[in-house]
Amino acid sequence: MTATAARRRRGWLSVGGVLITIAYLLPVYWMLATSLKDSSDIFATPPDLFPSPITLTSYTETVVNHAGIGRGLLNSTVIAVGTTVVTLAVAVPAAYALARLRVRFVALLMLLFLVVQMIPAVNLALPMFVIFSRADLVNSYVGLILANCSLAIPLAITILRPYFLSVPGEVIEAAKIDGCTTWTAFLRVALPVSVPGLITVAVISFLGAWGEFVFGLALASDEGMQPITVVLAGLTNSFGTRWNDLMAVSVVVALPIIVVFVFLQRYIVGGLTAGATKS
Amino acid sequence: MTTTVAPPGTASTTPARAPRRARRWGDHLFVLPAVLFVAATVLYPLIFNIDLSFRDVGVAQIVTGGAEWVGWENYTDQLGRDEFWHALVISLLYTGLAVAVAFALGMALAVYFNQRFPGRNLMRSLLLLAWILPTVVSANVWRWMLDGSYGLINTLLEAVGLVDGDMFWLARPVPALFAVVIATAWSFTPFIMILLLAGLQGIPDTLYEAAKIDGAGAWRRFTSVTMPLLKPVNLTALLLCFISTFKTFDTVFLMTRGGPGEATMILPIYAYNEAFEFFRFDTGAVATTLMLIVPLGLSVFYFRSLRREELS
Repeated sequence: MTATAARRRRGWLSVGGVLITIAYLLPVYWMLATSLKDSSDIFATPPDLFPSPITLTSYTETVVNHAGIGRGLLNSTVIAVGTTVVTLAVAVPAAYALARLRVRFVALLMLLFLVVQMIPAVNLALPMFVIFSRADLVNSYVGLILANCSLAIPLAITILRPYFLSVPGEVIEAAKIDGCTTWTAFLRVALPVSVPGLITVAVISFLGAWGEFVFGLALASDEGMQPITVVLAGLTNSFGTRWNDLMAVSVVVALPIIVVFVFLQRYIVGGLTAGATKS
Repeated sequence: MTTTVAPPGTASTTPARAPRRARRWGDHLFVLPAVLFVAATVLYPLIFNIDLSFRDVGVAQIVTGGAEWVGWENYTDQLGRDEFWHALVISLLYTGLAVAVAFALGMALAVYFNQRFPGRNLMRSLLLLAWILPTVVSANVWRWMLDGSYGLINTLLEAVGLVDGDMFWLARPVPALFAVVIATAWSFTPFIMILLLAGLQGIPDTLYEAAKIDGAGAWRRFTSVTMPLLKPVNLTALLLCFISTFKTFDTVFLMTRGGPGEATMILPIYAYNEAFEFFRFDTGAVATTLMLIVPLGLSVFYFRSLRREELS
């Protein structure tokens, strides 16, 4: 009897969990539902919980035909991929050395990388604008990638170091005895066993740069260079009450994040709490 | 929680054999790019910013440089301005309220999803969607949901009789602050939930069993077992969330731009406006430099709490 009671209790807890999840993610559903409505349906009172009829006009006409959106998506892709590549190249060897090699000031450097993550983006965007103006880096991919890396690299190091700490020192020592240099032991022994950590860092760097707003706003005044987040913010004014169009663009901006999240969720969940903050 | 400041002991986990001087130098090459990168993209801009804050920077000097050194003048100027203090108060109010809401909700969700039932891992992950969604996207959705005439929130509130007629959330000072707090808390709640879940999983079931046998109800078990044992984790989560929220710019900027009037003018937006709206990079530099005191001051407590958590 008690076993049945316990099972029934777990069943009710599941039902409750589903209801909580649905209620909590209502804004996400509302974004999607609105994007599938036509212009008159969005102003229905009371609002239609389900779009009827379902229409793709906002996507096929607004999203596809608006030149700024395509350009913004391209810019964001370049910036996010660039940030991810540079972050991996710089942060991975550093995290490895801080975990496994004989370097000095380990505690101090880790503290530095953590403190850096507490800095508001505006604090960096302001001086960067002045510095980049003088170096002709405003409105350039290089400038935007550098800006994004400033916070992505310290975050990546904080996430990665524990992964390398879990690689047994003996394995690396054994490789060295077999004739590996420090560098080849890193490449052939430490990296292959740390692939999950590398994926986590790559995903988090990409997601961070894709959703980044402040650097894009401050360092890309030229519309052709703006990331999609800044483009979307601009459309907020020009679209006015065309909420279905605005939500369709929002869905497109959120889509890469949602896709990556669905497929790589197990890599993200650990990494999200490992780093200090969302930039 | 895997966030770690390297505890002093970890140095001993590196290979123990005595390194030659050349090898040790070579090992540092692994860290060098990262250190140089952070020095160039974080430390240099911060120092540059402090330098700017002591100069009289006009529009012309942004590109050409050579602005005149004026000492503490910009600081005394800024500290005498009501707008600055107003922005600081709004920032603390906004952050405090958002953290309070996110923490209460995050705690409730963590306790619920710490129970054993089918599908809980999937549901936990799904909730994280609110946290990883780009802020531009969630801010836009909230703006739409809070729309005075056709927003979903008003419809729901009217249904339960809390709102009568159109309620223009973002056009009135107090409701606008309330709205940005809710939107911010919505994103941060799942993050807090995950942090607290990690702590909850460390509490042995036997303690709850014992409390149950002693006749403690669910609420009593929460206040007498969960909360005391979760104290270090709570502190870490609260500090981390406070720092992150305090430096948030996007949500408020996209929902209200600091308005209506100055009702939601948080410090990051105030500083941004000084520099990028009014081209006063010197006062913007002063505001950002002063703003840095809050997160950096709190980070000292954060690191202490991290260490305590590690030791326990």
